[in-house]
Order: sequence, then C-alpha cells, then structure tokens
Amino acid sequence: MLKHLFKLIWNKKKQNFVLMLEILVSFLVIFAVFTMVVYYYKNYRKPLNLQYERVWAIHFEIPSRPPNRDSLLLFYENLRNQIKSMPEIEAVSITSSNVPFSMSTMQNNFNYDGKGITLNDYICEGEHARVLGAKMAAGRWFSKEDNASKYRPVVINEELKKRWFGNGDAIGKILNKESDHPYKVVGVVTDMKTKGDYQLVEPELYRRADTADYYWLSNALVRVKPTADVAFESRLYKSLPNFINHGTLEIEHLTDKLVSRNSMTLVPMIILMIVAGFFVVNVALGLFGVLWYNINRRRGEIGLRRAVGATGQSVSRQLVSEALVLATMALIVGCFFAVQFPLMNVFDMPASVYLIAIGLSVIFIYLLVAACSFYPGKQAATIYPAVALHEE
Amino acid sequence: MLKNYFKIAIAVLKRRKFFTFISLFGISFTLTILIVLTSFLDHLLSPQYPDTKRNQSLYISTMIRTHSTRQSFSNGPMSIHFLNKYVYTMKTPAKVGIASIFTATNTYVNNKKLNIDVKYTNAEFWEVNEFRFLEGRPYTAQEITNGDHVAVISERTRQDYFGDASAVGKYIETDNERYRVTGVVKSVPITLLFCYGDMYLPYTLSKSNRNNTDLGGEYFAVLQGRSAADLPKMAAEYQQVIARYPLNSDEFDKIHSFADTYLASFTRTMMGTDEKSGTARFMLGLSLVVLFILLLPTLNLININISRIMERSSEIGVRKAFGASSRTLVYQFIIENIILTLIGGLLGLAFSATIIAILNHSQVLPSMYLTINFTVLLWTLAACLLLGLFSGVYPAWRMSRLQVVTALKAS
Repeated sequence: MLKHLFKLIWNKKKQNFVLMLEILVSFLVIFAVFTMVVYYYKNYRKPLNLQYERVWAIHFEIPSRPPNRDSLLLFYENLRNQIKSMPEIEAVSITSSNVPFSMSTMQNNFNYDGKGITLNDYICEGEHARVLGAKMAAGRWFSKEDNASKYRPVVINEELKKRWFGNGDAIGKILNKESDHPYKVVGVVTDMKTKGDYQLVEPELYRRADTADYYWLSNALVRVKPTADVAFESRLYKSLPNFINHGTLEIEHLTDKLVSRNSMTLVPMIILMIVAGFFVVNVALGLFGVLWYNINRRRGEIGLRRAVGATGQSVSRQLVSEALVLATMALIVGCFFAVQFPLMNVFDMPASVYLIAIGLSVIFIYLLVAACSFYPGKQAATIYPAVALHEE
Repeated sequence: MLKNYFKIAIAVLKRRKFFTFISLFGISFTLTILIVLTSFLDHLLSPQYPDTKRNQSLYISTMIRTHSTRQSFSNGPMSIHFLNKYVYTMKTPAKVGIASIFTATNTYVNNKKLNIDVKYTNAEFWEVNEFRFLEGRPYTAQEITNGDHVAVISERTRQDYFGDASAVGKYIETDNERYRVTGVVKSVPITLLFCYGDMYLPYTLSKSNRNNTDLGGEYFAVLQGRSAADLPKMAAEYQQVIARYPLNSDEFDKIHSFADTYLASFTRTMMGTDEKSGTARFMLGLSLVVLFILLLPTLNLININISRIMERSSEIGVRKAFGASSRTLVYQFIIENIILTLIGGLLGLAFSATIIAILNHSQVLPSMYLTINFTVLLWTLAACLLLGLFSGVYPAWRMSRLQVVTALKAS
C-alpha cells in the first residue's frame, strides 16, 4: 500500500515538487521556532532561587576616590554604615556592576588543576547571600572570618562545581594555584538565574571584594524591609551624596529589572511567533487549496475506484495518506538539514533541545498536512461513481 | 491590451473566490510584515526630528585602542577633553556638536519616583540638531563656561515634574542637584541615541572626573558640514587628527576611530572589522531577512498559481490554437499576477497602517512615532513587484509549455 502511494507521488514528482519544497521550508521555520521555545521553556522550568522582590540596586558614580588604601576602605565603611543606619534596610553588599538581571556581564577565566573555565565573575561582600536570599548547597558564604586566611575566599555555584569537581567535594579546593592570586572555595551556592527567567544557568563565581577592587566598584545591592516605600527611597537617595563625593546616583528595583530583562527575551520571541504563525496559516490555506483542486481534477479516477468497490472511507483515507507521504518525503530532507545543528553544535545549545524540537516540528507538520487534507478527502468520499464517470 | 489583461484578471479573480482569498491573504500579510519592518528601519535610519541634517553630518561614536604586541584592548566613547581639544577645533566642519551618552538619575516628587535620563552637551549641540522649543531657549556657550546650573528638559519631563504648567525659569531637582529650566523641547525617542534625553545639561556640570585627560570617556561628536559634499573632507581631516594624536601610553599604540555616516556609525560597532564599516554586511543581512520572509509566501503563491493555471487550460488551449505565442501568454499571466499582488499590496498597506497606528498609540517606546512615508511606500511597491514576478514566472513558464491538444482535451 505504502509502496504504491510512493509510486503515485513519484510519478507526479514534477507537479508535487513545489508543494514538497513548501512543506520543507515550513518545517525549517517551525523547527527554528520550536528550538527557541524548547530552549527557553527548559530554562524557565528551573527555579530562579533568588528572592529579588525586596532588593534594590544602587548605582553610584564617584567623581574621585581617596587614593590611599586605608582612607579608601574607611570611605566605603562610612558609605555602608550610612546605608545600614536606616531602619528599613536589612542587608547591604557592595558589588561589581553585573548585578542580577542587568545587561552587564563580567567574564574571567579561572582554572583548577589545569582545567580553565570561562565563567561569570561577581565581586561582592559578605552579606551578598543575605541580600539575594541565596541558599547554600554546601559550605558557607565568605565573611570576616576569612580575613586571616592566606587565600582569597570564593563561592561557586552548583553548575561550576559540577564542571570542575563532578560529584566530588569542592570545599577547600584551591583555584589558580600557580598564579599570584590563588583562591579558596569556601562554599557552593544553589544555581541562581541571574540573567532572568529564560536564560541558561551559567558557571558563576563570587569572590570577596578586596582593597584593589574598591578603586572601581560602583554598585550596591540592598535588601529592604516590606515597609520601605517611595518616601523611604527618597530619603535614602538624599542621604547618600555626602558619602559618594556628590556623584551621580541611581536606584533601581530588581523587580523592574527582571521585567525588562525578561522582555528582552520575550519580545523578539513573540514577534517571531506571530510571523511564524502567519506563515503557518498561509501555508495551511495554500495546501488546502491545492489539495482540494487536485481532488477535483481526479474525479474520474476516484469515480472509477468507487465503481469497482472502494468505500468512500478508503478513498478519503487514500487521499490523506498520499498527502502524508508527500509530507514524509519533504520531512526526510528537512530532518537531514535539522540534524546538522546538533551534529555541528551550531549555536552551543544542548543536543536534546534540537532533538525535541525536531520531534515536535515533525508532529506539527504531520498534523497540519493531515488537517489540510482531511476536508478535501471527505469531499472526495462523497463523489458518486455514476456522476463522476458520466462526466468522462 | 493592458486594459484587456486587467479585465481578464478581475474576471478570473472573481471566478474562484476561495483561491483569490488565499492569494490575497498571503500577499497582504507578507507585505504587512515588510511594511512594518521598513517603517521601523526608516524610523531608525532616515533623518528626522530633531536630527534633520543627517545627510550632511558625520558621527564619531567610538574609539578602539589596541596594542600590537600586548593583548590590551579598549573600546568606548571618548573624553570631553579629547573632543574639545582635537575635534572641536577641526577646520572643515561648520559645527561640532558634542554630547554624552545618557546617564540615568532619579528624582522624587509628590511621593512619586521619576527616572530622568540626563545628557550633557556643548552649545553647538543645539545648532547641529534642530530641536523644537515649546518654550524658552537652549543654554548658551557663556552659561556653559560659567558652569551655571541650567537645564533644557523634554516635554515628557515637564509633564511628569511640573504637570501642565509652564516650566521656564522654574527649578527642577534631579540627582540631588537643582537646575534652572531655560527651555522645553519636544520629546525624542530612545531610538535616536545621539539626541535622546529627558534632560540636557551643560557638559561642565558633569559629575564624572572632569580632570580626566585620557582618551576614553563618555562623549561622542557630530560633525556637521556646510553640505553633503563636505563629508569626505571631514572624514579625511578626522583621520589626520587621529594620526597626529600623541599617544604616549605603554598600554596602547594604535587608535582606530572614524567619522562615519549615521548608518555606518552603528554598523561599525555591530559588525565592522578593522577599517571596514560593516555597512555592506548589514545590507547583506537585511536582504537575506527580506528574502527569507518572502520565500514561504512566494512558494505558496507559486503552488496556488499552478493550480489556477491548470484550471484555465481550456482558455490557454483556445488562445494557442488561434495563434497566440507562448511569450504573449507568459506576459499576460505575469501581468495578471502583478495586478493581483498590487491589490494585495493595497490591502497590506491598510493592515500595516492599522498596526502602526496601534503601535504608535500604545507608545511601546515612548515618543516613538512610526510613519508610512514616501520611502516606505516605494519599498513596498518594489516588494510587491518582486513578489508578483517571483510567483508568476514559474507557473507562467509551465503554462506556456502546455500542448494545445492536451490543453483542449482536458476540458
């Protein structure tokens, strides 16, 4: 039966060529859309692990900083104390500019035992975990007790731990051993999606700010109490200029930053889906029209089949399966192209994403073709042999 | 002859309403996508309020510094020191506007938080750009030198801060500083990076380190010539400025920076390589996107058209039998197809006008107003003809090859 259908289509390959090409291109478009949807959905499913609701990010541009080490540390001590002196503040961490959900990233290469990994590098302070509500998977966050340590303390996330140490223990391991600045892992923090709901969890490393960093750090994250309102924010804003040499100040809420960061992913996605949706409707209408027309042209053939005893159902089944076989031919070629993406690792996405996307797209195209050929097939089933053959 | 084709085309369209609907749906929506896209690009790239003299201006937006042996690399806008000393003094430009990238600041009025994006500028910034002043005037070179706390604000800022009242002469506070408002201008959308700001201040009030004599900073410059003919001269003089600059630093030994046209100043940062501005690459990418958008609907139209033509085989058979050449038939069919596409184009224009009106009304990006202007219309027409030609040629060729006998027998 199937062989017979293939033969039927092969005989009319010239007529069917454009139709197949159209199905092929639609498949590729749908594949691209599904790849993105699957990728973002997979990321979205993972927990955020970040209590951002009551966190504000303060950006300050300090015109000139004390040149000398001790006065610089005192300068920041005063700034920190000023912020903490306000009753609505729960915790403060002075940090590098790559605060959660911002567009800023800082990447550095660290190595353990000769294995270098390029990771997202965060510079922050002891209260950082409290500010973000981060949960420790093992060990602890760094604090004043590390002052005496020979090594600078760092905290890594689970993703990074997995890449470096697998299932082994990370605590106490020394990073960048051969360099002038070795680091010691004191804790492992659960993966936080610091780039928004839809982004992949990347390897991250948090290191404690040291004196050299204070020459350029110009951001702070603060956790506020639920009572903190606009009036408080205004008080905070007005209280700070004296402590940053009258530089420029900006306060942002992480809730707003998350919305804008997510929309940077969602807006292009939605536009793409609208355009693809329109393509699908367009193609569906076209397929429907062409199949319908083809069936009208084959009235004689269908009439003959009915006359020699085929039921209406089997006629309509034949037409639907013909369309599906046509789709199969296009899909085989399409899959050949699509499989190149995981094979050649084009966009650095996990192979599973591509495979799921290919599966979904194949199902989608089959459903689309079946739906478009269903009605014309049904029409064909109603053809009376007497009428159809009479026309001949 | 053409009138006849037109009549036939309309008659054919009326006969098979479902097919006509499918064709028109495909054409009009494809063109809607293209029109909205071109309208957005037109908004980004063609001269408009307040940057109306873009055709006679060059933009210096970034400077890349590298070292031939070391790995050092620095990329970013320039310092006010460099621009004032080396660029402002250039001979060929008539005017040099200097402005900073915007800085976000906050202010709190009536228990409400306002975000105000501040841009620091020099005096000629107001001459290079033709801002519409709703009231007041720009600040002067004298006020800038004096370091007066004066500001020009946008209409939106006035609305948010002062309500409906007039603002000139009043004081506005942001970033914990007070400024006297000298003028109010019509708001600019954030898509025009060189002009956008909620509040404009003299560069002497900038809070970043003013004693910075380094090259890197946060300012860019707009060189405006007397006419478009000055552009090559200005670009060449800027290259001399760069070559002459005494770069006595251990960290870097080469400067790459160019005075580019508006489009090139963006493509260079996105996809430029060394000396090439990346405009060609941008155009290539854009054409690929357009071709891709056209690909599926075209295939679809070809399919539909083939079906339609086969349906008309008797008509074709008769015309051929009476001596019409293949070429005449191909022309006829292509013209019919173009007429269909043009009708679809009109529909598409109506759809996109609706979508653009909705986008403008919702103010997705504040103060951004998209329009369907002459350029957009021209591009749309080109796209229509392209689509009509693409989707007409193959079916027409198939049709012209029909044998008279088979064509007549089939009916």
